[in-house]
Amino acid sequence: MEQALIALGAAIAVGVPALATGWAQSKIGSAGAGALVEKPELSGVMIILVAIPETMVLLGFVVAYLIIG
Amino acid sequence: MIKEMSKIQLVGSKTQLDECIRLLHAMAVVHLETVPMDLVEERGILRRLPLEKDKLIEKESLEKAHERVKNLVFLLKSRPALTVPRYRIRGLLEEMGPVEERIKRLHAQKETLTEEVSSIDKYEKILRGFAPLISSLGGLNNFDIVGLTIERRRHDIIGLLEEEIKRITGGTYELYARAIDETTSGVILTFPRKYSGQIRYLILGEGISEIRLPDEYEVMSLASAITTMARRKSELPGLLRGLEDKLESVSDEWYPVLAGLLTAIEDELDEIGVLTYCAQTRYCFVMEGWAPRDMTGTIKREFSRLFGEKVVVRELEVKKEEEDIVPVYIKNPGWLRPFEVFLKALPAPRYRSVDPTPYIALFFPVFFGLIVGDVGYGAMLFSLGLFLGWQFRKKQKTETLIDIATILTVCGVSSIIFGLIYGELFGDLGERAGILHPILFDRVRALKTFLILTLGIGVGHVVLGLIIAAVNYIHRGKPREAVGKLSHLLLIVSFLTILGIMFKYVPEGLLTPGLAALVLSFVLLTTIEGIIGPLEIIRTLGNILSYMRIMAVGTASVVMALVANKMGGLEGSLIVGIIAAVLIHTLNIFLSILSPTIQSMRLQYVEFLSKFYEGGGRRYEPFKKR
Repeated sequence: MEQALIALGAAIAVGVPALATGWAQSKIGSAGAGALVEKPELSGVMIILVAIPETMVLLGFVVAYLIIG
Repeated sequence: MIKEMSKIQLVGSKTQLDECIRLLHAMAVVHLETVPMDLVEERGILRRLPLEKDKLIEKESLEKAHERVKNLVFLLKSRPALTVPRYRIRGLLEEMGPVEERIKRLHAQKETLTEEVSSIDKYEKILRGFAPLISSLGGLNNFDIVGLTIERRRHDIIGLLEEEIKRITGGTYELYARAIDETTSGVILTFPRKYSGQIRYLILGEGISEIRLPDEYEVMSLASAITTMARRKSELPGLLRGLEDKLESVSDEWYPVLAGLLTAIEDELDEIGVLTYCAQTRYCFVMEGWAPRDMTGTIKREFSRLFGEKVVVRELEVKKEEEDIVPVYIKNPGWLRPFEVFLKALPAPRYRSVDPTPYIALFFPVFFGLIVGDVGYGAMLFSLGLFLGWQFRKKQKTETLIDIATILTVCGVSSIIFGLIYGELFGDLGERAGILHPILFDRVRALKTFLILTLGIGVGHVVLGLIIAAVNYIHRGKPREAVGKLSHLLLIVSFLTILGIMFKYVPEGLLTPGLAALVLSFVLLTTIEGIIGPLEIIRTLGNILSYMRIMAVGTASVVMALVANKMGGLEGSLIVGIIAAVLIHTLNIFLSILSPTIQSMRLQYVEFLSKFYEGGGRRYEPFKKR
C-alpha cells in the first residue's frame, strides 16, 4: 500500500506539471505561430518562449525522483 | 568572431563617381551608409546628390526591363544562370524580343489547354451520368435541354420545381434527377423550346445553378458536347506534353541567359541606387561606409592605383556613441561556419560583444551526443547527414540546408562517441552481443550518476557564460558591468558550495570562506544592480536545473530502444518481432533528430547565451554584386 502511494505521489508530481507545461506551451505556441507569420525573424525568441515552461515538468521530475529515491 | 570595423570616407571628383561606385561594387567589402545629415548641414557647401535627368531615365528604363525579364524568367524552367556582362544588357534586351513573344505564346497555349483539362474534368463528372439520356433526347427538335445542379441538402426543391414546370408547360416536359456526388444532385430538364424564357427565369429566380458549359462547347448541343469532351480528353495530354517539351527546349537555350541578364540589370539598378547615399559639393562627391579593418589597406591601395589623387579614401575615427550602429561582421574559420546558422534565429549581436559560434560549435554536438548516446543511432545520423549534404550540394540548395546537414553529421559523430562511453548500440544490442560495454556508466541503471553529471555540466556551462560576459566587459572597458557579472558568478559558486556542505558533498572547512563570499557577492550585486541583482540567482539556479533535461530526454530515448529490442525478442513469430523492433528503432531515430536538437538548442539559447549574448546589432551587408 505504502509503495503504491509513493508511486502515485511520484506520478502526480511529474504528471500535473507535465499537463501545466503542455497547456502553457499550447498557449505560447499558438500565439507564437501567429507572431511568426508577421515577423519570421522572431523564430529564435519564439523557441525560447516555448521552451520556458518546460522547467515546470523538469522540476516535477526531480520531485518525483526524490519521492521514489 | 566579430571582426573589427573601420569607418571610411571617400572624397573625389564627381567625374569619377560612376567608376568609383563600380570599383566598390566589384570589391564587395564596403557597407555603405548615407552621408549623415549633420555633416551635410554642418558644412554649408555639402548637399545631397540629386539623381540627374539621364540617370533617372536610365533607372526607369532598367526598371521596365527588369520587370520584363523577371516575368519571362518566371515562365521558364529553372537552369543554372550565366554571367552576363553589363555591356551585353542593351543588346540582349533587343535580341530577346522574338523569344519573348514565343515564350508568352507557348505559355498562353499551355494555360488554355490546362484550363480545358480542368473544365472537362469538372463537367465530365456531371454529364457522364446523363450521357445515355442526353443522347436519346438529342434528337428531339423544338425541345430545349437544360442541365441543373442542386445541393443535396436542398433536394426537396426538385419537387417544387417540377410542379412549377408542369404548370408552365401544361405537362409537356420530362425531368430526370440523380446524385452526381456526395453533395450535389444533377437534374436534366427537357421542355418545348417556346417555354424556354419562362423556365430559365424560374430557374434564375430560385437561385439554382445551371450547368454552363465552357465557351467552346456553348454552341453545341449537350450530346455533341459530351462526345467532343471525350475526344479532347484523350488528345489534351499529348498536346500538353508537346508544349512542355517546347518550353523545356526554350528554357535550355534562354533561361541561363535571361537569368544572367536579370542579375546584371539588378546590379546596374543597385549602382544607381547607391547614388542616394552620396553627398556632393559643386565638383566633388562624398561617400561613407564601413569596412573590415584588415581590408582598409587594400581599399586604399586599389583606389589609389585606379584613380591616383582624384579620389581619396580615409579612415574616420569611430566615436563612442557610434559603436551601436557599427555593422557586425561575423567571420569564422570554415569548420566553424556551419554553426553560424544558430545565430540566424537571433537578432545580430552587438559590435564588440561576443560571437557565440565557437561555443555553440562545441556544446551543441556534445549535448546532442549526451542525449542520443548510441553508436547505432549515431552511425545512422552520421550517414544521413553525409547523404543530405551531398544531395543539397548536388541540387545547389541553400547554404543553410548544407550547414544543417553538416551539423547533423557532427552530431552523429558525437552520438557515436557517447554511445561508446555508455556502451549502447541500438539500445542494449551491443551489450547482448558482447561487443560493447559501458565505459563510464550504464545510463539506465546509474540514473543518479547521470543526473549529477548533467547538473555538473549545467554549473560548468552557466559559469562559463558568466566568465565570458565578464571578460568581454573588461575587454570593452566596462568595469562596472564586469564586476556585476563576477559578483553574480561568486554568488552562484558560494551558494552551491554551501548547498554542497549541507548535503555533505563538500568539506565543512569551506563553510566560512563560502559564507564570506556569499555576503560579499550579495553586497556587491545589490550595489551594482540594485535589489533585483541578487534575485537573479533564482533564475540562474533554474537554468542549472534545466540541464537535467539531458538526462531525462536521454533516458527516455534509451528506454525506447530497449523496448524495441524487447519487442524483437518476444516469443512468437520472429519476423513480426523483428519488424516491430525495426519500426520502433526507426521512430526513435527520427525522435533522436528532433528532440535532442530542440533540447540542446534551448540549453544554448536560454541557459547559456542569456548570460552574455547582446543582440540589437546591425548585420554587415557589403555593397556587392548579386
